[in-house]
Amino acid sequence: MTAWAPVEYTGVAELRGPLMVVQGVRDAGWDEYATIVLESGERRHGLVLDVDHDLAVVQVLEGTGGVRAEATRVTFTGSPLRIPVGTGWQGRVCNGRGRPIDGGPPIFGDESAAVAGFPMNPTLREPPAEPVITGVSAIDALTTLVRGQKMAIFAEGGLPHLGLAAQVAAQAHAGGTPFSVIFAAMGLTHADAATVRDILERRSSAAELTLLLNLACDPVIERLLTPRIALTVAEHLAFALRRHVLVVLADMTSYCEALREVSAARGEIPARRAYPGYLYSDLASIYERCGRIRGRAGSVTVLPVLSMPAGDITHPVPDLTGYITEGQILLTREAVPYPHIDPLSSLSRMMRAGVGAGRTRPEHLDLAAQIQAGLSRARQAGELAELVGESALSPADRRYLTMAEAFRTHLLAQRPDEARTLEETFERAWHVLSTLPRRDLSMLSEEALDAGYQGRT
Amino acid sequence: MRDALAPVAEALSRQAENDTREIMARAEEEAAALVAAARQEARTLLADARAAGAAQAEADAVTERSHAERRARGIELAARREALDHLLTRAVAAVRTLRDDPCYPRLLDRLSALARDAGGAGMVVTEHPGGGVVAEGQGRRVDCTLDALARRAVDALGAEVERLWAS
Repeated sequence: MTAWAPVEYTGVAELRGPLMVVQGVRDAGWDEYATIVLESGERRHGLVLDVDHDLAVVQVLEGTGGVRAEATRVTFTGSPLRIPVGTGWQGRVCNGRGRPIDGGPPIFGDESAAVAGFPMNPTLREPPAEPVITGVSAIDALTTLVRGQKMAIFAEGGLPHLGLAAQVAAQAHAGGTPFSVIFAAMGLTHADAATVRDILERRSSAAELTLLLNLACDPVIERLLTPRIALTVAEHLAFALRRHVLVVLADMTSYCEALREVSAARGEIPARRAYPGYLYSDLASIYERCGRIRGRAGSVTVLPVLSMPAGDITHPVPDLTGYITEGQILLTREAVPYPHIDPLSSLSRMMRAGVGAGRTRPEHLDLAAQIQAGLSRARQAGELAELVGESALSPADRRYLTMAEAFRTHLLAQRPDEARTLEETFERAWHVLSTLPRRDLSMLSEEALDAGYQGRT
Repeated sequence: MRDALAPVAEALSRQAENDTREIMARAEEEAAALVAAARQEARTLLADARAAGAAQAEADAVTERSHAERRARGIELAARREALDHLLTRAVAAVRTLRDDPCYPRLLDRLSALARDAGGAGMVVTEHPGGGVVAEGQGRRVDCTLDALARRAVDALGAEVERLWAS
């Protein structure tokens, strides 16, 4: 096959659901990208799921509805899907396979890259460093996101995890250095997609954001491409164009369900809860595409968002994600005000590398540890109060309950459209700690207390 | 008897006057405090209302601005799309004129050879009414019509197409 005279195969032997069996095929390979031209001239696209001699099974991304076997032509591109890469993606809204849905022309780039990506050479990796400021106090203060990190948001059912993900995508910045956001939305309903678009509108208009929208009604195989396209675009922006890129992948549970469906269509042996046995390595092939490379200025930070089916954190998707990611932010119904972050179950394992003097504030780590310790003590006091009543608690325990309430109302609670600066977050964090006596704040240095403590000494 | 009680009555009256003054002073103080608190509350409410109004106005302005930006962006993208479609139409029209070129028969030979090479053995090549050739056979088809070649040429331009709208 040449680029100027591509071979079209007309021997469509069978159509079954989204699958098309093409016969008489030469040199087609696993995962190869295909273009399908219908009798009407309409173009559809597909991926080779299986090859046996001259038979190729193609999963049609747009489905096979309206396809007439005898009048359909299939062209194989000779390689797995490649996309153009470059700044042309910024400010664009595309579907889950990277086709524009914003009325604009196709996206062009001087270079192209395979969406499957290549694993980063481990000897060239730099550890994550420097923070990504999300503008959400509970994240910036207690579970700081670090450039090059992969940190998941786990959410119980019915919580606004997409809203939080979109808020982070709309507000995040890297302190004045070039910054881009790629939001890969997977398996969203139309209502959710509209909400996400509204929240991200401003950033999208400013050409700092790429939005990939795979809807719940879109083909499942397209959903497998969406995060990979997002990461391929991000890698080029980060490592060729030296930008810091945040990739938000929401909702990864929908992605895993799509993987399960495709795996079943391929006749693979199911493993835990019918997900394929390679779910762990497949997720790792996505999450591990973040990081920093020695000698290059940019970074890719990955924020996967998962809804936990039935609130079960041991479900295979959050379970395996938790093995790979470097921390998690847990949203629970017990944490009442938006953004519903449970501070005692959330952790950023890379926080130490991203905060402190010259990055955020010198006392950041100690401040976060002190708040966590206070909230832990408040939780114990709260459990005790349930048994003996709050009036029977010691004055010290009651102070910790007051501190937890101040945390809830002053630091955690935040409007979905409210972007807080780091200074404001610290101001609020000190306000929370100042409800405790100074002598109780043993994790903070005297200098930090002199500078920040607002209570009576 | 009355005279004897006069000091008591006077003392009681004085006491009552004192009490009255005290009560009135206290009442005045309370009233003043209440008025002050009410004024303070009114000021706070007013300030909150002003702040909420300003925040709402700011939010409305941001929403309106981002809607306007989205509209502007949509118009710009649609214009780019139109420019690309126009380029494709002109490219197809330009390539079709090759049919009147004296070298057209030689071009057909070259295209037939290209189609046979790509499709493999057993391909039957026919001239397409719109110009160019189509090779078919063995469940395969190779489209070397002039329209298809023009479209592939525009596709092959890649990022160069962006010069159409680059400032």
